[in-house]
Amino acid sequence: MTTAQPRPAGQPRHSLRTDILEARPVNLDGFVEEWPEKGLVAMESEFDPAPSVRVEDGRIVELDGRQRADFDFMDSFIADHAIDVASAEESNALPSAEIARMLIDPRASRDDVLAVTRGLTPAKVLDVLKLMNVVEIMQGMQKMRARRTPANQAHSTSARDNPVQVAADAAEGALRGFAELETTLGVLRYAPLVAIALQVGAQVGRGGVLTQCALEEATELELGMRGITAYAETISIYGTESVFIDGDDTPWSKAFLASAYASRGIKMRFTSGTGSEVQMGNAEGKSMLYLEIRCILMAKGAGVQGLQNGSISCIGVPGAVPGGLRAVAAENLVASMMDLECASGNDQSFSHSAMRRTARMMPQLLPGTDFVCSGYSAVPNADNMFAGSNFDTEDYDDWNTIQRDFQVDGGLRHVREDEILLARSKAARALQALFAYLDLPAVTDDEVEAATYANSSADYPFRDVLADLKGAQAVMDRGITGLDIVKGLESAGFHDVAENLLTVLRQRVSGDLLQTSAVLTADFTPLSAINDPNDYAGPGTGYRLEGERWAELKKLRHVTSATDPESEVG
Amino acid sequence: MSASLDTGLTRGDYPLSVNRPELLRTPTGKPITALTMDAVVSGELSAEDLRIAPETLELQAQLADASNRPQLAMNFRRAAEMCAIPDAEVLGMYNALRPRASTAAGLAALADRLETTWSAPVCAGLVREAAEVYARRDLLARAGAEDGEDTP
Amino acid sequence: MTTATPDRTVSLRELGPATRGTRPDEVVIAVSPAFAGHFSKTIVEVPHAEVLRQLMAGIEEQGVGARLVRVRDTADLAAIAHIGAKLSGSGISVGILSRGTTMIHQKDLARLSNLELFPQSPLLDPAVFRMIGSNAAQYAKGESPQPVPTRNDQMARPRWQAKAALLHLKEFECIEAGRGPVEVEAVFELTDAG
Repeated sequence: MTTAQPRPAGQPRHSLRTDILEARPVNLDGFVEEWPEKGLVAMESEFDPAPSVRVEDGRIVELDGRQRADFDFMDSFIADHAIDVASAEESNALPSAEIARMLIDPRASRDDVLAVTRGLTPAKVLDVLKLMNVVEIMQGMQKMRARRTPANQAHSTSARDNPVQVAADAAEGALRGFAELETTLGVLRYAPLVAIALQVGAQVGRGGVLTQCALEEATELELGMRGITAYAETISIYGTESVFIDGDDTPWSKAFLASAYASRGIKMRFTSGTGSEVQMGNAEGKSMLYLEIRCILMAKGAGVQGLQNGSISCIGVPGAVPGGLRAVAAENLVASMMDLECASGNDQSFSHSAMRRTARMMPQLLPGTDFVCSGYSAVPNADNMFAGSNFDTEDYDDWNTIQRDFQVDGGLRHVREDEILLARSKAARALQALFAYLDLPAVTDDEVEAATYANSSADYPFRDVLADLKGAQAVMDRGITGLDIVKGLESAGFHDVAENLLTVLRQRVSGDLLQTSAVLTADFTPLSAINDPNDYAGPGTGYRLEGERWAELKKLRHVTSATDPESEVG
Repeated sequence: MSASLDTGLTRGDYPLSVNRPELLRTPTGKPITALTMDAVVSGELSAEDLRIAPETLELQAQLADASNRPQLAMNFRRAAEMCAIPDAEVLGMYNALRPRASTAAGLAALADRLETTWSAPVCAGLVREAAEVYARRDLLARAGAEDGEDTP
Repeated sequence: MTTATPDRTVSLRELGPATRGTRPDEVVIAVSPAFAGHFSKTIVEVPHAEVLRQLMAGIEEQGVGARLVRVRDTADLAAIAHIGAKLSGSGISVGILSRGTTMIHQKDLARLSNLELFPQSPLLDPAVFRMIGSNAAQYAKGESPQPVPTRNDQMARPRWQAKAALLHLKEFECIEAGRGPVEVEAVFELTDAG
C-alpha cells in the first residue's frame, strides 16, 4: 500500500511515522478542550462552590455557600435527606486532606470513614476527591465498596428482539458468572416476551441470577410487579435542577418511585453519571464530578440502596476532556463512600482503541466494585440494544486472561464449550416448552438448534414478528405472571429451572434483596453489605482471590499442561 | 401495620430468608415456607402470595437501621405504607409528583388521601415537603396553562 | 474528508417575522439559531448549503414547496421543529440543528413527539437529507411514506459525543431570548475550496 501519490501542492510533508500514528484507532476518538464556564470540565473548576455548612435548630441552613432561602431543589433535598445533620459541622470542619488520608489508610475501617462521609456536603466531597490521584482512588474503592465480594452485570439483548437468542445468551452469560442480567428492546412492544426469555435463560444458566428489562417507568414497574423481572436500574437522576426538570422528574418524584419498587419487593438502583448535564446543555457552569456528587447524595437521600454510575451513556463526554477517566473513577468511589451499591459503568462503547478500552476499566476491575460493568455485553455489540458496550462476547477470553494475570476477580470465568452448548440448548428448549404451555408463538426445533451454536442474531431463523408482537400483547392482556412461568416450566419437565425461578420469586417475599448490594449466590443465599460487608483492613485482608475461586479463574481456553506439555489442561 | 414489631433484629439475623424464616409471611398470611412447588402446581398460590408484606418491610427497615442506613430504612417504611395501594394508583401518585403536574391544592389532596385513606403518614409527609419546595421553585402546575404548548 | 473543489456556501437573509403559511402544499424548514450563521457545516462537515439544497430538492421533487424559517429563541430541536410545523401551511416541518440533528414534525402532535427523528447527527449525509426532505413532502401530501432508514453506529459516541456537546453549548449561546421566528431566504454562493 505504498504507491506514491503525488502530493498536492502546498501541503506539508508528513513523516511515515505520523502516517502510522494518524491511522491508529485512538485517533478516531473525539477529544475536546475544556470549557469550565459551561461545565465542560471533569473535576477541577474554579466555578465549583467552596464547601460550607451551617446548622441551626437541627436544620442545615447553609450549604456550600448558599443560604436556605436560595437553595435549588437539589440543595434542599440533599440538606434535608442526605446529609447527617448531627455530624455535618464537625465532619466538614475536618481538613480535606485528613479525610482523603482516611480513605487510603488501612487502619481506618470502612465504618470509620462512613462516620465522617455521611456528614459531608457535595463541595466538601469534591474537595477531598480533588486531592486523590487515580491510584489513591482505587485504594479507596478497594475499602469502600459495600459488598466484600465483587460481581459483574451483563447486557443480553438482540438486534431482532429475538427471545430465543436472548434466552440462549442469558444462559451462557449466567453460566460464565454474571450475577445480574439486563435487557432492553429495539421494538418496545416485544418487551414481555424478551423479559420472559431473559428470566428463563438466566435460571437455566445459573439459578439465582437476577434479571431486569430497561423500559419506561410504568412498563418496567409492571413487569417487575408481575415477577417477570427481578430488579430495576434505569431510573435516571441529574445533578442540576434544570436538567432534572427536563427529565420530567424531581428528587421527590424519584424518591416516591424508589419506595414504590420496594413496596413490591423489587430491588432497584438509580442511574446517573458525569457528563449528562453538560450534554443536555444545562450544567449551570459546574464541573461534571461536582454535579455527579450531587446526584449521588440525592440517591442516598432517597433511600435507594444503590446507584449505577460511571458516566454510563455520556462516557464520550468525560472521555474527551483532560482527567475525565479520573473523574469517572472518582464518581464510583463517591457512590461507595456514601454507602451505596455501585454498578460502575464500563457499559457503553467507549473507544476505538483496544488499549484505551482496557485502561478505562482498570480503576474498577483492580480494586473490585459491586458490579465492575453495569452492562458487559453478553451478546456481540452489533446485537447490543443499549447502543454497544465497552466489552462484548469477543472479549470474554481477554477478560478471563486479565483476571488470571493480575489475580483479580472480575466476576467471570472460563467455561468449557460443551457446558455452554448444553446450557444454550436447554434455555432454548425451556423457552420452547414454556411458549407452548402459555400458547405463545412457537419456538421451532430449528431455532433451538440455531440457538445452541449461534453467535449473533443473524445466525437464527427469522421469527414471525407480527405473531410475536401479538403474543407479547397477550402476555400483558392475560395477566401472565412469574408464577405462570414457574407452572409452565414445571409442567414441561424443566423442574430445576422452575424451582430456581420460584426461589428467586420467593425472595421478594423476604425482602432480603432490598438491602444494599444484594445478590443471590448459587445456593440462593442473599449476599449483601450486611452479611458480606467489606472488611478490608490492609494487605492480607478483605476479599482475596484464593481457594476454589482462584483455581477456577486459573483456567483458560488454552493452558499447556505442566505434567504433560504435549497436551492442554481444562 | 402500625403495631410496631419490636423484634430487636440485629445484623446477624440477615438474611431473614435463611436465618429468620419464621418471621416472614405473605400479605395473605401464609408462612414463607408454604411457597413450595407443590403449592404452585396444585394452584394454592396466587400472584398475591408472592408480594412482600408491610410487616416484612418493617423488619428490613430495622435491619437497615441496625446497619446505620437511616435513609434506606425510611425508604422501606414509606414502601410498607404503599403495599396496600393498587399499582395504578401508585403510578398515578408518582405522575402527580412530576414537575408542574399538580397544583398546590392537588398535592395537598394527595397528601391527605395518603394519610387518611391509606394510613401512610410518612409518604404524606414526603408529598407535603415536595409541595413546599415546588411552590418556592415554581414547579407547581400553572392553573389554566395548556399542557405541552411551547409558545413563549 | 476530501471534497470536490467548488464549495457551496449559504447565508440566510431575513425577510421579516415568520407567519403561518396558507398553502397546503408547503413544508417549512425550521433552522436553529446558529444554522448557516455562526456555524457553516454539520458535525461531520456537511456544508449547511448542501444540507439545505438537499432538503429543498427532496421536498420539491415531490411537487411541494419549501419555506425557510429561523427559530431564534430556543436550541431545542423538538421545540424548533414544532414551531416550524405550526407555521407550515401543511402542518409539516423539518427542524434542524447546526450540528445536523434533524426531525420531521407535525403541528397536531405533542411537542415531545415527532414523525421521524434522526438523533445521530454524525450519520447524516447529503443523501439522507434528501430522503428526509422527500418524506416530509410526502407527509405534507397526506401520504404515509416508509420512514427513512435510521442508521446506527456504536462508535459514534466515542468519536462525536463530546464535540456534539460542545456544538450544542455554542448553539445555546446564539439563542436570542424573546425573539420570534423569522422568515429567511437562502442565498447560495459558489466559492473555490481553499
